[in-house]
Amino acid sequence: MRGKMKKIRVGAGSAFWGDMLEPAVELVEKGEIDYIGFDHLAELTLSILQRVRAKDPTKGYIPDIIPWMKAILPPAWEKGCKVITNAGGANPEQAAEEVIKIARDLGMKGMKIGVVTGIDALKQGAHVVIAGRISDNALYVAPVMYEFDWDFTEPFVDKIASAITTGHIIECAEGCTGGMSNIWQAVPEPWKIGFPIAEFYENGETIISKAPDTGGLICEWTIKEHLVYEVLDPRNYIMPDGVADFTSVKLKEMGKNRVKVSQAKGKSRPDQLKVCIGFKDGFIGEAQIFFPWPDALEKAKRAANIVKERFDMINLEAEDVRFDFLGVNAILGETVPIKDLDYNEVGLRVAARAQSFEEANKVRREITHLWTISSVGAHMGVPSKPRPVISLWPTLIPRDEVTPEFVMKEV
Amino acid sequence: MKKRVRLEEISFARSGDKGDICSAGLIAKTSRAYKTMVDEVTPEKIKRHFGSMVKGSVELYPMPRVECLHVVLRNALGGGATKTLRYDQTGKAMGQAILRMEVEVEEDVLTEARQTMERIYHKYGKAWG
Repeated sequence: MRGKMKKIRVGAGSAFWGDMLEPAVELVEKGEIDYIGFDHLAELTLSILQRVRAKDPTKGYIPDIIPWMKAILPPAWEKGCKVITNAGGANPEQAAEEVIKIARDLGMKGMKIGVVTGIDALKQGAHVVIAGRISDNALYVAPVMYEFDWDFTEPFVDKIASAITTGHIIECAEGCTGGMSNIWQAVPEPWKIGFPIAEFYENGETIISKAPDTGGLICEWTIKEHLVYEVLDPRNYIMPDGVADFTSVKLKEMGKNRVKVSQAKGKSRPDQLKVCIGFKDGFIGEAQIFFPWPDALEKAKRAANIVKERFDMINLEAEDVRFDFLGVNAILGETVPIKDLDYNEVGLRVAARAQSFEEANKVRREITHLWTISSVGAHMGVPSKPRPVISLWPTLIPRDEVTPEFVMKEV
Repeated sequence: MKKRVRLEEISFARSGDKGDICSAGLIAKTSRAYKTMVDEVTPEKIKRHFGSMVKGSVELYPMPRVECLHVVLRNALGGGATKTLRYDQTGKAMGQAILRMEVEVEEDVLTEARQTMERIYHKYGKAWG
């Protein structure tokens, strides 16, 4: 049907720092893919890694890159699958040194490791590209643009929009293969969920599938679920490489666990780039305690009242304090009524944000007091210590202010 | 004949965060459900539904080709994932909260939408429950 149209198969190996390794290895071994992308960075991860690097100049990359590369490089090198990762974080060069050590130990002589900018590194023949804060999406757009020899001129704008659309759909890995799904009861074997493979064709169409014998589900519903995930204006999904219009996209099931994505339209890449600035912004103290039947909800309400009185007595200096009833309204908040039911158990959760660790830590101490002064049968597990808050200040800067740099290293 | 039901009867949803903004995609269960959803769901209704949880504006973006209605809720996460005191730091449950809203749906549209899960199980199998 497609004749000799060139295609390229790209897999998504990670949705976030902390994702599973096994499906990524499986993807390289069984997915017949040309590239695999690894996203390890959330909006604020760089701010955290920058602080790590400031303390120790040999750190600041995602530490998972070491076990991940140990597991991924052998099958990738054997199959000729190139690896693109943003796990370099705030220190891609140091991450590359670590990866070179691993590759050397594994005897992968001649392997080229490109550091920082994806597409140029691919042009120089890199087998592994280690970047810092590139967009998640670029992990998938870069190999497609390189293999099909697309550039940022007008004739390729819609094609790049297609790559951006598919990149968006697959970049959260299991997010489009039945993870987090509304139709979760139709999703088989999520413990061995398959990560997605995008087969890109030169005309801009893509087929999303997954490796054989994996769990999870790919269908029109799971793809739609991810198409709308974490999007602002769907007519203008703005990425550094272009702007995609998700309202132009057509989805079609092409048999079991295969969905075609086509007809994406787009606009040229923006003149500005996004910068995420993170800053230290105090601490959050959080703890919970559970109350048993009978009258579980009333016991929890009374306990909340006790904590409020105690916070007044000890002069808690907090910017914000919050009380939730776990099992009642903790995640649906004001959209649900607090019904007076015969609950088996109800949890009280207390959270406060304060400028100092000491103030935030008062939450933990006061919840501990509830154990003995509230009501019969309460239990609270082990409250954890306050966590630091890093607030986000996103802004835009002119593209010209950023000069991509690139270094090639060889094993 | 119209019936007053929760939006969940005719739509799926997935939500997530962008800073302090919550993004929630409503995915219609049928083509006719999509049309009903576009008519029935308004920014005002959503804003009222969330009360003080959503401090900013609510914007809606129809996506007719995939039959989704995209919802953007501004200043909606209590300061954003790292700063908020909410248990649901990234607004993952807010899409489900929208599905609790009540809408007016023609009876035959409702009947058809209610068969969606059966069709899904028939097509892809039922793995749980």
